[in-house]
Amino acid sequence: MNAPTEITQAQLTGRHQADENAPIRIAVKDLNFYYGSFHGLKSVNLNFHDRQVTALIGPSGCGKSTLLRTFNRIYSLYPEQRAEGQIMLDGRNILDPRIDLNELRSKIGMVFQKPTPFPMSIYDNVAFGLRLYERLSKADLDIRVEESLRKAALWDEAKDKLKQSGMGLSGGQQQRLCIARTVAQRPEVILFDEPTSALDPISTGRIEELIEQLRSEFTIVIVTHNMQQAARISQFTAFMYLDELVEFGPTTRIFMNPEKRQTQDYITGRFG
Amino acid sequence: MSDHIVSSYDKDLEDLRRSISEMGGIAEKMMNEAGHALVRRDTELAQAVIAADARLDVLQREIEERAVLLIARRQPLAIDLRETISAIRVSNDLERIGDLAKNVAKRVVAIASEIQSQKIVVGLQHMGDLVQEQLKDVLDAYASRDIKAAHDVWERDGAIDALYNSLFRELLTYMMEDPRNISFCTHLLFCAKNIERIGDHTTNIAETIHYLATGENLPTDRPKNDASNYTMVEPPAGA
Repeated sequence: MNAPTEITQAQLTGRHQADENAPIRIAVKDLNFYYGSFHGLKSVNLNFHDRQVTALIGPSGCGKSTLLRTFNRIYSLYPEQRAEGQIMLDGRNILDPRIDLNELRSKIGMVFQKPTPFPMSIYDNVAFGLRLYERLSKADLDIRVEESLRKAALWDEAKDKLKQSGMGLSGGQQQRLCIARTVAQRPEVILFDEPTSALDPISTGRIEELIEQLRSEFTIVIVTHNMQQAARISQFTAFMYLDELVEFGPTTRIFMNPEKRQTQDYITGRFG
Repeated sequence: MSDHIVSSYDKDLEDLRRSISEMGGIAEKMMNEAGHALVRRDTELAQAVIAADARLDVLQREIEERAVLLIARRQPLAIDLRETISAIRVSNDLERIGDLAKNVAKRVVAIASEIQSQKIVVGLQHMGDLVQEQLKDVLDAYASRDIKAAHDVWERDGAIDALYNSLFRELLTYMMEDPRNISFCTHLLFCAKNIERIGDHTTNIAETIHYLATGENLPTDRPKNDASNYTMVEPPAGA
């Protein structure tokens, strides 16, 4: 009788399997962040793997959105906020003051909690960044807009009303429009800050399905308060608490058998 | 383990634990009494064991339904998920243990009036005592989440398999010696097999405790000493 072979973790988790050998797209090294005198992130070290979805979880005010906001230096709009340390993307530290912010933000796109369509047509929403940074012919622009709307799974619903205002779409459609606008820049990384917290379960399902598809092309970082969402869509999970990174690892391990007591307490709803 | 923010969640898990503990108590008692009934050929006690099984079945269904509801309503994670899954597994094992003890009791009723050699029954009793102790230890280990105690139970099952194998040979020998022994020896053989199976379910529970505590499964190849599958006994010369 042959001994049964052990089932490998990869067979068990299938496409949910975290690829720990995937190249590192963003390397955060000893990152500290300050809101004026308040120490908002305390020496965070964390790697984000290429074409993997990494979920940032933790209670409100733990620093996850702060961390997300350092990646495209959106905080630099506020003079009293500053970051120290390194965030390496393509061999360059994006905290370097010499970095061209417009170029950085075309590499790192961001989708927010509430849909933020511009008050213009669906077409113009998607074409907005392309017109600013790329000189495309009308025909090429059409192609990019269609390609982006397709990638955002909005093309079928929007193709007959491209001239209509983006504000007229439903909440879930508006969110996908924002994703199309982000995807149009052909970024390397897409940051999602609670992208479905304002959406119903059906729209949420569409966005999650979309994130799963986008993963084949982009590195994705998502902040979410929904534990099950993090468990469903991410390959890696980082748990943050009190401005520090507590635990980072493959999502299946974090949700089945976390190493740290604080992580377990948080994901099982025991935080007091 | 600190409490959940939602206190009814703690109560749900506590209910599961309490039902498991009730099942454990019943299974242990059934196992114990089935052994006594066998040694004393006590059909009344055997009938009581048979009757006790119904409650185990009810509890097992109840635990399964509660666990499924808990998963649907609370989407447990980490230790809570492992505890819920463990409750389903352990309740299944305990329900099976009840069935096997009940089967021993039924056979006691069947063979009580037959003349039998007390010597063989003593061998069975010894094996029953060992399994009884294993069951008690594993239930204590489950209640206290004692992974070391669970491992000890897991390791000790080999001794029970070895004992079963020697009983198997012994019973075959008796049957060959005198065909009039065949009927009750066959019943005793099934009793021995049932008790050995109870031992296996006990090690299943030990494996579940390991999973509950660590999130990982023990290797699939448990120490096994049951060679009865391959055992042949030569008929005595001149038979």
